[in-house]
Amino acid sequence: MNAQESTKPQELRVGVFVCHCGLNIAGTVDVHAVSEYAKTLPDVVFVKENRYTCADPGQEEIRKAIQTQNLNRIVVAACSPRMHEATFRRTVAEAGLNSFLYEMANIREFASWCHQNDPAAATERAKDAVRMAVAKVRLMQPLQTIEVPVTNKALVVGGGIAGINAALDLAEQGYKVYMLENSQSIGGHMAALDKTFPTLDCSICIEGPKMVDCARHPNITIFANSELVKCDGYVGNFKVKIRKNPRYVIAEKCTGCGECKDACPIEYPNEWDLNLGTRKAISVPFDQTVPLVYSINKDYCIECFKCIDVCGARDAIDFDQQPEEVEIDVGAIVVSTGFDIYLPYDMPLLGYGKYPNVVTSMEFERLILAAGPTGGKVIRQSDGQKPRRIAFIQCVGSRDKEHYPYCSNYCCMYTLKHVVQLKEKYKENIEVYVFYMDIRSPSKGYEEFYDRARERSVNFIRGRVSRIDEDPATHNLTVHSEDSLLGQPIEIEADMVVLATASIPKKGSEEVARILNLSRDADGFFMEAHPKLKPLDAPTDGIFFAGACAGLKDIPYSVSQGSGAASRAATVISKPKWKIEPIISIVDEEKCKRCGICVSKCPYGAIRQEKGQPATVITASCHGCGTCVAECPSHAITQMHFTDAQILAQIKAALQDKPEEKILAFLCNWCSYAGADLAGTSRCDYPASVRAIRVMCSGRVSREFILEALRLGAGAVLVGACHLPYDCHYINGNYKMKDRTDALKATLTKLGLSPERFRVEYVSAAEGIHYAEVIKEIDGQRRALGKEKIQTENVKLKPFLENMLKHK
Amino acid sequence: MPFKSEKRDSSEALVLEWKMQVKHYVLMLDKQRCVGCQICTVACPKAAITANKQPKIVGQAAKKPRIDIDQAKCNFCGVCDVFCPYGAVKVTVNGSHELSVISKESYPQLTRDITVDTRKCDKECTACEAACPLKLIKISKVGFDGKPVQDVFKLSPTGKRRVQVTVDIAKEYCPTCRACEYKCGPGAVTIKKAYEGKIKIKKQKCPEGCHDCADVCPITGTLTIGSDGKVHLNDQTCSFCGACANVCPEPQALTLERTKVLHSQVHSGAWNKTLERITSPDYAAKEFTAQAAQIRRKIVDKRFIVEEMKKNERTRID
Repeated sequence: MNAQESTKPQELRVGVFVCHCGLNIAGTVDVHAVSEYAKTLPDVVFVKENRYTCADPGQEEIRKAIQTQNLNRIVVAACSPRMHEATFRRTVAEAGLNSFLYEMANIREFASWCHQNDPAAATERAKDAVRMAVAKVRLMQPLQTIEVPVTNKALVVGGGIAGINAALDLAEQGYKVYMLENSQSIGGHMAALDKTFPTLDCSICIEGPKMVDCARHPNITIFANSELVKCDGYVGNFKVKIRKNPRYVIAEKCTGCGECKDACPIEYPNEWDLNLGTRKAISVPFDQTVPLVYSINKDYCIECFKCIDVCGARDAIDFDQQPEEVEIDVGAIVVSTGFDIYLPYDMPLLGYGKYPNVVTSMEFERLILAAGPTGGKVIRQSDGQKPRRIAFIQCVGSRDKEHYPYCSNYCCMYTLKHVVQLKEKYKENIEVYVFYMDIRSPSKGYEEFYDRARERSVNFIRGRVSRIDEDPATHNLTVHSEDSLLGQPIEIEADMVVLATASIPKKGSEEVARILNLSRDADGFFMEAHPKLKPLDAPTDGIFFAGACAGLKDIPYSVSQGSGAASRAATVISKPKWKIEPIISIVDEEKCKRCGICVSKCPYGAIRQEKGQPATVITASCHGCGTCVAECPSHAITQMHFTDAQILAQIKAALQDKPEEKILAFLCNWCSYAGADLAGTSRCDYPASVRAIRVMCSGRVSREFILEALRLGAGAVLVGACHLPYDCHYINGNYKMKDRTDALKATLTKLGLSPERFRVEYVSAAEGIHYAEVIKEIDGQRRALGKEKIQTENVKLKPFLENMLKHK
Repeated sequence: MPFKSEKRDSSEALVLEWKMQVKHYVLMLDKQRCVGCQICTVACPKAAITANKQPKIVGQAAKKPRIDIDQAKCNFCGVCDVFCPYGAVKVTVNGSHELSVISKESYPQLTRDITVDTRKCDKECTACEAACPLKLIKISKVGFDGKPVQDVFKLSPTGKRRVQVTVDIAKEYCPTCRACEYKCGPGAVTIKKAYEGKIKIKKQKCPEGCHDCADVCPITGTLTIGSDGKVHLNDQTCSFCGACANVCPEPQALTLERTKVLHSQVHSGAWNKTLERITSPDYAAKEFTAQAAQIRRKIVDKRFIVEEMKKNERTRID
């Protein structure tokens, strides 16, 4: 705040840089008009257009202009700040200016890309965006980044092949790694497979040693049969709570001898074998289990204590074991929670679950596996005989608009693997049919593998299967399809049908997303910070993705992602200190009335207030959501970089001309702003009447902003937030906003405001189309009300609003 | 084929199944044989079995309770099969009736100690066959020529003497009520009861005119309505299954306590708990003490034998 006073007398010199982004912006927006307009804005002394501002020459021009023109505030009118804010911050800092004296005007995602059919309106919106940015930047103050110490340990969530690689790489680099696994053994899906394509080497033989390495490595601690409970903190300083679920066997004492298993009388379906076979009530899911500790399933155990008898002096069994919670400190988190397999019970025409000889590919994998329940014999469930004709059906659930629209990536390849295995095992004694839409074999050696299958006289039939019938006497199946290459319907009789079902997001990833504050895309997979440039980073700093949890991948890709995520995590935990953004809240001790409201509203418990003392913010705990600022009744709290004055200036700038034709949208950075960005990136066209103001969290949107916007005559006001209940990146800022706006809406409606003019909408980062539709709807409503109606309402409301604002 | 857990309920049987690619578990409750007693409901270690009272229709005999098994809780351990006094439950794995709870000694075998000494049989007598309330006894008589004989009394005394009598008792369904033993004149049949216990009927509480317990009791003559309109018990033929207690409308009017179960010896926690539930903690404690004494005796015996052997060895060396 001393800095504030020292810079105030200084003359403001604003530089505006308008980016063409090739034709991305310049193709729609009249960039010359925008830069001409920028010159007319107060304190703007320098305007420059650039073809690509983010490229090196563009950045160099900013640096040069700062020095030669003596600029002390910078506006870059280009793409979304979610894309390049950090880039230009660095540029500005390199020129010797404080990096918080710059603001971005989003004229690509928010103008050129979303109003392609209306260049004039897009240009108008771009001009307004620049005006709003200049208005804000004029009030900006230099800020110093805050440095926090980093815990040089990492957590890997999920012990599949991607997680194993991430953990091993980090451990080899010398960092302590905790590995969290939900099931009883690490290894993931790969440990359940028979062979791997295209080399046909045994899956567990290559993964097993890696699993053992994990268990033996002095830097790795495995928490198997455990779950994630809570995660607090921020990059470099996460506090993670893990619950170790009871196994009723003491891990340290269990030698893995398996005598208890032999004594146990009770069996239950083994979920590891996809319930094709059984396991004992005390057992390990499979022989190569890591860590090799037996577990008792109390759902089935009858407590005869025969296991205790045989365990004897080893004394490893404890029926009174309780769940145990452990808290660990880590600097970075790698999420590698993997995927699940879809079971097509809801596709009755395929008869899965109804006909005994229809299996999924994963079930087939367990049947053909030598260590599987049948000892490697492919047999029919109905009669235990070896099938002579097997039909494979591709894309069951995948590439299907009614189920999962995406391609599951590796199904073509594993089916090719299965057919090659069958042909090589049974030679001419087996007939194989593959019903496919397209065979996708894009990686190294994959196409050659497809050739290998074709050379072994496998019948490939291009067509989508319409239904499967069963002969009730023989349990043989008839597959009805179309051969789209011949353009004829085709019927094939088969003894067994194998369905290559879709892979789907892991059950429970919603819970993981909530705990770690991650976003999920429309398909339910975790969303990267950037699909091209940050494919391994979560939007939350310090969290990284590996493997299929962020989109389906085969083994080599998952392995390399594991190593990639490890190296990304190392960029955090290798540093002694981490810089965090100084957008935190600060309390003005003189204005503070010591009411304690902020303490109760802070989602992180980052504010303290002793009796009779002014409130204080704990810098390292403050995440910068700004909820306390909006809640403070005496305006004593300021959020740095998002001050009331700055946002009010933006509101004023946005509603300068024809306010009744504008929709003013307050968008939270993580969900609704990202959703609006996506609407632009996906080129969803929506009305250009909207003017957006970015806040970090919807909790920051105070009553005052809405009242001010309506006082200035805004046609409509929208508050965009993350979905309730768990999507908020600041735990529950959206709930605080909801409480506030619900009350305000009731008051305003009573005063005579048409309810459609004030709206709260929940938009996730994946809902670009939804955002566009919301704007269309509001714009339609605004038009339906008509300019006159809005103006009369405004005149009627104005004294009340002024009164309400004065009271504040 | 994915794992299938099925439950089918018909008028003849209640069937639970686990169908897997390599294993097929079936639990079948034969409703003809089931009397709706308490044993399986208390014996089940997962508390999956319940006996539900059937609604009573005025003017009709009481119906036996319906046994229901919770599909989600049942783990096909087969304890219900082992302890059902009427042999109404059968658990099979891939068609085989060998239960691993028995072979791994988690549960004992229920002992039905039934012996028939046919040498003592009166050649004309069919009393036991007639006495069996469940029609489980079949007497067959074979003449000297190996041909079955129908009317023994028509034979000459020599012929009669040469008749061979066989008494077939379907032991697995026998509740060991001893009705046949009591009717057997020559004392050829000896039966030890599998379950022993006490039934108390409080005359004051027993509602007059109600004969629900007598209606459901599978062993005729065990519960009878006296001239006072109250229920009278003949506990000599009672199998202590508890069907009566399940239907008695008046709490505390009919109380049943089992005091003993005749079974093979095992050492198992699950059995101890089951025993506590089938009998009562007090009686179970008694049995545990007896078991412990037996184990101690065995240890002492073993030591004694070892010392004897050593002594023998020494004398031989000497």
